[in-house]
Amino acid sequence: MTCDAPAPAGAPAEPEWRSHGPRRRSTRALRVRTAAVLVAATVLAVLLVPPLVQLDQQAVDLAAKLQPPSWSHPFGTDDVGRDLLLRCVYGLRVSLLVGVAAALTATVVGTAVGAAAGALGGWADRALMRVVDTFSSVPHLLLGIFIVAMSRPGVWPVVISVALTHWLSTARIVRAEVLSLRSRPYVDAAVSGGASRWRVAVRHLLPAVLPQAALAAVLMVPHAMWHESALSFLGLGLPTHTASLGTLIQSARGSLLAGQWWPTLFPGLFLIVPTLALAGLAGAWRERINPRHRSELML
Amino acid sequence: MDPMAPVLSVRGLSVRFLLPRGRRVAAVTDARFDVAPGECLALIGESGCGKSVLASALLGLLPGNAQTAGSALLGDLDLLTADERTLARTVRGRLIGLVPQSPAAHLTPVRTVRSQLEETVATLTATRGRAALRAAAEAAAERAAFPADHLDRHPHQLSGGLAQRAATALALVGDAPLLLADEPTTGLDRDLVDRTVDELRRHVDDPRDGRRRALLMITHDLAAAERIADRVAVMYAGRIVELADATVFFGPAGPRHPYSRGLLRALPDRAFTAIPGMPPELGDLPAGCAFAARCDRATDICAGPPPPGTLACHHPHVPEDVRA
Amino acid sequence: MLELRSITAGYARNAPVVRDVSLSVAPGESVGLLGPSGCGKSTLARVAALLHRPDSGTLLLDGEPVRHWRHRAPRARRTAIGVVFQQARLSADPRLPLTDLIAEPLRATGRGGEVPARVAELAPAVGLTPDLLTRRPHEVSDGQLQRACLARALVLRPRLLVCDEMTAMLDASTAAALVAAVEDYRAATGAALLAVGHDRTLLERWCDRTVHWDGLA
Repeated sequence: MTCDAPAPAGAPAEPEWRSHGPRRRSTRALRVRTAAVLVAATVLAVLLVPPLVQLDQQAVDLAAKLQPPSWSHPFGTDDVGRDLLLRCVYGLRVSLLVGVAAALTATVVGTAVGAAAGALGGWADRALMRVVDTFSSVPHLLLGIFIVAMSRPGVWPVVISVALTHWLSTARIVRAEVLSLRSRPYVDAAVSGGASRWRVAVRHLLPAVLPQAALAAVLMVPHAMWHESALSFLGLGLPTHTASLGTLIQSARGSLLAGQWWPTLFPGLFLIVPTLALAGLAGAWRERINPRHRSELML
Repeated sequence: MDPMAPVLSVRGLSVRFLLPRGRRVAAVTDARFDVAPGECLALIGESGCGKSVLASALLGLLPGNAQTAGSALLGDLDLLTADERTLARTVRGRLIGLVPQSPAAHLTPVRTVRSQLEETVATLTATRGRAALRAAAEAAAERAAFPADHLDRHPHQLSGGLAQRAATALALVGDAPLLLADEPTTGLDRDLVDRTVDELRRHVDDPRDGRRRALLMITHDLAAAERIADRVAVMYAGRIVELADATVFFGPAGPRHPYSRGLLRALPDRAFTAIPGMPPELGDLPAGCAFAARCDRATDICAGPPPPGTLACHHPHVPEDVRA
Repeated sequence: MLELRSITAGYARNAPVVRDVSLSVAPGESVGLLGPSGCGKSTLARVAALLHRPDSGTLLLDGEPVRHWRHRAPRARRTAIGVVFQQARLSADPRLPLTDLIAEPLRATGRGGEVPARVAELAPAVGLTPDLLTRRPHEVSDGQLQRACLARALVLRPRLLVCDEMTAMLDASTAAALVAAVEDYRAATGAALLAVGHDRTLLERWCDRTVHWDGLA
């Protein structure tokens, strides 16, 4: 076989192309799509059901208390005959509100502290990080319980309690990111180009950490929802008449022992499924914003 | 088996990437070359010309949006159609030893060189037992001239040159007939480049273990290529435009393709003048010669596909030109 | 133009990577600083560009001692020196299209109005075509990105250029093109050059005078 076997002159024949690469992409795409559908369904349910469905979640019907799932009450009823499906949707609404509000607060505080510590450096960095360490040294749930115990039961004390115990990790992530970016030659280049400290921070450092911070915020929503549920389950979070997933599960404890599984199972599922879906979606997003995955083309 | 039969035989190898909105990027077009045992082929070209994609194709490491055509025969095995299981179990490490671009990143930072060598020996060879593994790891280190008293160090405790030797030692463990070195000298200074390249060359025709390996070295460093290569393949815009004997290529006659000549003229010890213009986008290649737009010899015929063979040029320099 | 006197510098308190080094660059002169990798020459380049405060020693810029580094250095002094680093990938903000990358120093110094004219003038000088200017760093090759980084270093018309291994990652032709662009700029403006590298052939061909790292201490 010679090396110079001539090909036919003129336009070369189109070669036969073969595809390669890992097959897992398709199952991953399916997973991401499922997660996205579930998250979208959750958001739509909590936004649309209360205004559109003219049913009172508080409507008591003692004649129909603790009924198993049926056509008229797909999730059954609770110990005073309220419809559990409706209660779960309202509960999810409150839990999601608490989760999102707490995650946003925690992210804003965490990003500000982390960015300041990383960008300023020196004693400011040391002082801020000691504050973070101090907060971290107390178990989160204990600190959370302390904060809600100091105030009247309600939504906002729970938000603050969850936020104050969750900004620490964001602060650490953002600080580490800013520190690693600060030593990049492109920051040197900006300094050499006459950029002020402020301009370096706002134009080069902050935009670089925002995707990370936003991702941390999304990942924190399920975490915060669980935290709310834990506080409410302990009877410290929301008042029991406010339906949240935590209060629903808490008030169903008694019935579980009596063999009535539905008042615990459905709120539990409403907690688990949307939070897992949200975490899954955030994970896929993390892969996207990770620079190593950004370019499909490897040149 | 014929001792001079090529270790690797690449025919019509093309790689393209499918991008969103129907864009296609022709990263490698119709590559054809052989590498024989005891021979070093240097694949040279500028960054983004497709040479790293070619290496990834040979190792089966292309991303999911890539498509390939042609064949790359390693013995009887076509690397382009082999499944992942075959590539993982029989090819990587065993048939192809990879000398990586940045050895520091290739080594596991939290483990000593010794433990990584022993693990590789245990994975790739039949050696079993603690003492035997230890001895085999030390032998592998010695083959790559990695000093035995540095074996218990972590990668960050090694200089650039020693990290490169550690990575080379790992690549040699599986006793692969083909070594693939992807930019092994990037970021090293000249003395270290010379040493690294000389060491690689030694493994091609190693008198100590009597092995004759084939070495495919991918580089943009012409001086390193001149020092090591028996033959040179020049890649431009995804196509191997010239495949030539290294002594002729770097010698007084010089290369024949205008792009190769331009590259050599750009060296600081030669004319030190750049080729005007920039290479075309791989996503938007002209139908004809991709270099024509920058070439002072281009004519109308260059708008058609370049001639096949080892010199993809309608107007190559002929030896008479050089004497004139 | 630039004079470094007994500079000692490093990143950890007791382990300086630059020890007692002296070097001077006259106005309009090009000096090549030759040294093996890891010898500390990049640190010296950062000191010379006012990006790293030395532990001891004096740096004179136009005969005046420099007392402040990085953000504390007066802006006019900082911007009198243009810097190009070895790794274009790391020296470009990944979010900025090449036009903004080149224009950033103009905007940072409140001269945003000059952007279109300066970019139009510099892009051909470093060999960048208009279609490349709208792309982000991950959409161009290393060589194209380094061309943009050189344009950024030239955009404020520095009187001294510090090129730290500018061409080490590039192919021969792109390297020659970038060196030619630097020399064109110097011929037009009379700027001085400190080129740091490990390639003796390159530096001796490029610079008026080449000094070896070992001869500086």
